Amino acid sequence: MIGTRRGAVAALALSLATSIAWADPDFPAMLKRVDDITNFTSDFAAVYSMVSERPGEEPKEFEAQVFRRDRDDKLVILILAPDSQKGQGYLEVDKNLWFYDPQSRLFSHASLKDNFQSTDAMNSDFYRTTLARDYEVKSWREGNLGSNQVYILDVKGRNNEVAFPNRRLWLHKELGMILKAEDYSLSMRLMRTAYYPNYVKIGDRYIASRALLVDELNKGDKTQLTLKEPSTAALPDSTFTKAYLERVSR
Amino acid sequence: MQKFLIAFRNLNRQKKRSFLLGGAIAFGILAITMINGLVGGFVENLGENYSRLLAGQIFIQGLELTASGRRVQAIRDDRALVAAIDGAGLPLRGVLKSSGFLGTLMFHGVSADQQIVGLDWAQSGPLTERLSLKEGSFAAMRNPRGIVVSEKTASKLNARAGDGILVRLKTLTGQENVGEFEIVAISYDPALSESFAAYANLSYVNALLDLGAGEYQTLGILLGGTEGIDTAAQKLFDGLRGKVPVFDREASSRAKNPVRAMLQQHQQNPMASMYQSLLKRGGDSAWSGTRYRLYTLNDLTSQVNLPQTVDALKGLASLVLLIVLVIVMVGVANTFRVIIYERTGEIGTMRALGMKRSAVRDLILLEALFLSVGGALAGLAASAVLMGLLRLVDFGVGAAFSILLKDGRLTFLLSAPEALLSIALVAALTLLAVFFPARRAARLNPADALRVAR
Repeated sequence: MIGTRRGAVAALALSLATSIAWADPDFPAMLKRVDDITNFTSDFAAVYSMVSERPGEEPKEFEAQVFRRDRDDKLVILILAPDSQKGQGYLEVDKNLWFYDPQSRLFSHASLKDNFQSTDAMNSDFYRTTLARDYEVKSWREGNLGSNQVYILDVKGRNNEVAFPNRRLWLHKELGMILKAEDYSLSMRLMRTAYYPNYVKIGDRYIASRALLVDELNKGDKTQLTLKEPSTAALPDSTFTKAYLERVSR
Repeated sequence: MQKFLIAFRNLNRQKKRSFLLGGAIAFGILAITMINGLVGGFVENLGENYSRLLAGQIFIQGLELTASGRRVQAIRDDRALVAAIDGAGLPLRGVLKSSGFLGTLMFHGVSADQQIVGLDWAQSGPLTERLSLKEGSFAAMRNPRGIVVSEKTASKLNARAGDGILVRLKTLTGQENVGEFEIVAISYDPALSESFAAYANLSYVNALLDLGAGEYQTLGILLGGTEGIDTAAQKLFDGLRGKVPVFDREASSRAKNPVRAMLQQHQQNPMASMYQSLLKRGGDSAWSGTRYRLYTLNDLTSQVNLPQTVDALKGLASLVLLIVLVIVMVGVANTFRVIIYERTGEIGTMRALGMKRSAVRDLILLEALFLSVGGALAGLAASAVLMGLLRLVDFGVGAAFSILLKDGRLTFLLSAPEALLSIALVAALTLLAVFFPARRAARLNPADALRVAR
């Protein structure tokens, strides 16, 4: 009788252990972790250098000052170079992205889903991430990316307003940040591959210090982003206003 | 009757002078008729070409506001619209459903931005009648992924009929999407607006935009002709207003028209503006369901300076008319002064024989009237011949101004009232020019006249 009980307990324990071992990871928590470790509770400022390459054309270099206040969904991008675009800027406030042109001194509507200038970066690449809110995991597997152990997640937009309806993400198994991302169209065609080989730790947050964005539709088109002068110092409220863009572009 | 005969005989006596004077009047009428006819033809062809290329003369578009505040352009249920159209009793030539987007066509590393319009090709007869193909055929649009691109776009992409191309676009809700088309035909550019549009199948364009089966973005209404568009639109608008929520037409007047702003961003391409401008409507107001917007071909073309161009041509015609009339009046007045001087003795004799002053005046005025009407009729006949000959000239459907032509040829449109007005104007002014010499002749003292003549 005792033997039978022990057997049953052992079988239950084995079954439990097996189910725990084979249970899916907590994906919502995993996506939230990505958001948590890359979004700042404090203000954030940095300068991005960008080199955009297209076959048969001279590489184009851009430099932009970025200010973020993730807790209020605010973003400012001020173009510092090239001279022809210097002073142009973007302001995200109240769920509206404004583009400022110092030549005409006019603001016009823009979208986070638009490409940043003529590069392969999107305006949203400079913005906080909202993976947990916008995507759900449809399938997953484990794998390696270089020497890193990763989760490879196929995610799908929770709504029809995310820029890329389908994405494949390579998440660092231990630290949780995105190392690589493939962005697919609604028709499931690969449009862009983003590589994030380097991160810099600022406080308890990680931000990609280098990114390579490859256009998969126009072969040979790619843009490299490099982060400089990151800072989490508090920014004046006036930074996230139209007046600021007008003032600094004079 | 006798006065008519004498007047006719007098003109006949100086055949060469009468011919030259009548010829001058005929030339003036010829110039005026040609310019008016040409402008009329341009206006007619412009309206006709645009209405077919844009797949309608009156357009209805639907605008939805999503929960997140995004504006989405779609007509999902058109029963109320169809009922309103039926109820308006318009002289319909066709009702065309279409959807469209501004996409980037890509072929072997080369890309070109292009407005792409999806149509139901079973109903696209009016378009195919006016869109001339350089390569391929419309029959190949049976291919669900077939696309007709313009010559300029094909040249930019270095693509030919049979080539597969990619298109990058954003769905209704702004999601990235990529489609694959096969170029089945290459059309001549209708000019004035470079790379007007590429035409594809409605079902595939809808799929790319993430629209459901049976849904679309624009309902185009083709009327029997290009006249009366605004009246028909107002009638339809009134009918729609009672059935569905509609944006106020006044709000889309020229002063506030979003089309104007959009055209500036789309190289004055009315096709592009059709599919982009609606999203700006509604201001900050919120609504539920679908709100509709009604606008016309005239609203669109008024933004690309076409009416201004037509007005300029009409202004030119009026200026020519004025110059010609001034020359003719001065010439006629001087000629009749000479005629009266030459006939002083004859006038004196007629007056001495009892002819009344008014009869003398009327006789001279009748001569002028015969001259002007004869010249005008000759001018009209000559312009009819010249128009007929010019109609035979084939400028080609690829001509730079082909949007103003019909199948590459000039057409002339002259209304009967316009022709009659020209004749009446020339006759009236000729009579006015001759009136003063005629009055002077009538006032001649018979004795003095006979003495001078001797």
